[in-house]
Amino acid sequence: MDPCEVEFLSEKELVSIVPNFSFDTIHLISGSVGPFRAGLPVKVPIWLAVNLKQQQKCRIINQDWMDADSLNEAKEEEKLSKLFTKMPSNHYMEEAQLLLNVASDDISDADRIKTAIKDIWDIRMSKLRTSIDAFLKSEGLHAKLDHLTAMEINSVRPLLPHALDQMLRIQTGGRATQSHYSGTSQ
Amino acid sequence: MACCQSYIPDYFAITDILSTEERISCKIEVELPGLGFLDSSSQSEDLTVGTKVELPLWLAEPLKSLQNSVVSVDVPKIYKEGYREILEADAEVIVLSKWNPFYYELGMHVRKLSDRDYEIISESLLQTFKSRFQLVMDWSQNATSDPTLSIQLPRLERDLFLSGQQAKIRLVEWLKMGTNELVVSEITTNLKKRKREQYEFD
Repeated sequence: MDPCEVEFLSEKELVSIVPNFSFDTIHLISGSVGPFRAGLPVKVPIWLAVNLKQQQKCRIINQDWMDADSLNEAKEEEKLSKLFTKMPSNHYMEEAQLLLNVASDDISDADRIKTAIKDIWDIRMSKLRTSIDAFLKSEGLHAKLDHLTAMEINSVRPLLPHALDQMLRIQTGGRATQSHYSGTSQ
Repeated sequence: MACCQSYIPDYFAITDILSTEERISCKIEVELPGLGFLDSSSQSEDLTVGTKVELPLWLAEPLKSLQNSVVSVDVPKIYKEGYREILEADAEVIVLSKWNPFYYELGMHVRKLSDRDYEIISESLLQTFKSRFQLVMDWSQNATSDPTLSIQLPRLERDLFLSGQQAKIRLVEWLKMGTNELVVSEITTNLKKRKREQYEFD
């Protein structure tokens, strides 16, 4: 999957906004949004929030977890823990990227939040790398990937699944994988 | 993706064709009249028992697996004990593509030729792949690394390396630019389903 596609998925997450216009409920396939009352916070999907923000029709309220101090705490915890810790959102990186890009004027401390999230991302990515290597060398048959987020999982694709497939091929003589891979990619 | 094609060693798989081109030293077990020209050093018209000739793998394999084998095959030296020990010692420092650009593919064919060494060669290939994977992964994570790197890898690792590198480049691009335009997925463009507009115009 392309990172853009993962980002697309993350746009379904909800975020609070304060609209500066009034409008009835919008009925969409994925659910109804609104009604919008000027000055009253309402929860909308990120894609709508970004769109409204670009038209200067709302103010985005920060996600609860997007707060420099608690993120720094999470960072320390991530550093100390050997395993992956639970992230506040399955799409933390994409949400941060999207919201901080369009609404850096609405979010106080945007720079510190950005730095903290980048640090967390880096720590987790290096952890992921070492654990993949340990996993391959340990001859383990399965790995538990608790608390990994969508973008992080996507970052090891297609390298890791392909490598595992090739290992199976080397082990079994290339016969067992045939039925699986007739004509599919990724 | 390039990797997927080599999953199935079928008749048209180019990797498979290229890897079975490799010449293997064989010993003739049955007298072959009229085939003396295969051995350029001999003067006689026939191939006598015990002559050593180099045959491509695609020819040697069926000749060997006949009910009474015409030839006996010598496993190439890069899969023999001496070379296996080199790999065991430190697989990462070796430029494996210099040994053979299709090291793994060839190994998977060669191991079938010798019943005795099947397990050992398989194990050696697997261990080599495992210990070199970190190298491949690290290289592919450094998207800007120099282009000569991929030449040092045998085909199978190179495909992995290139696909990993591409994914990394896309991720880095996304991190830099944030939102950019979504492109239509390959799957939907290949979709053979009737589209509504075609249906309505009929």
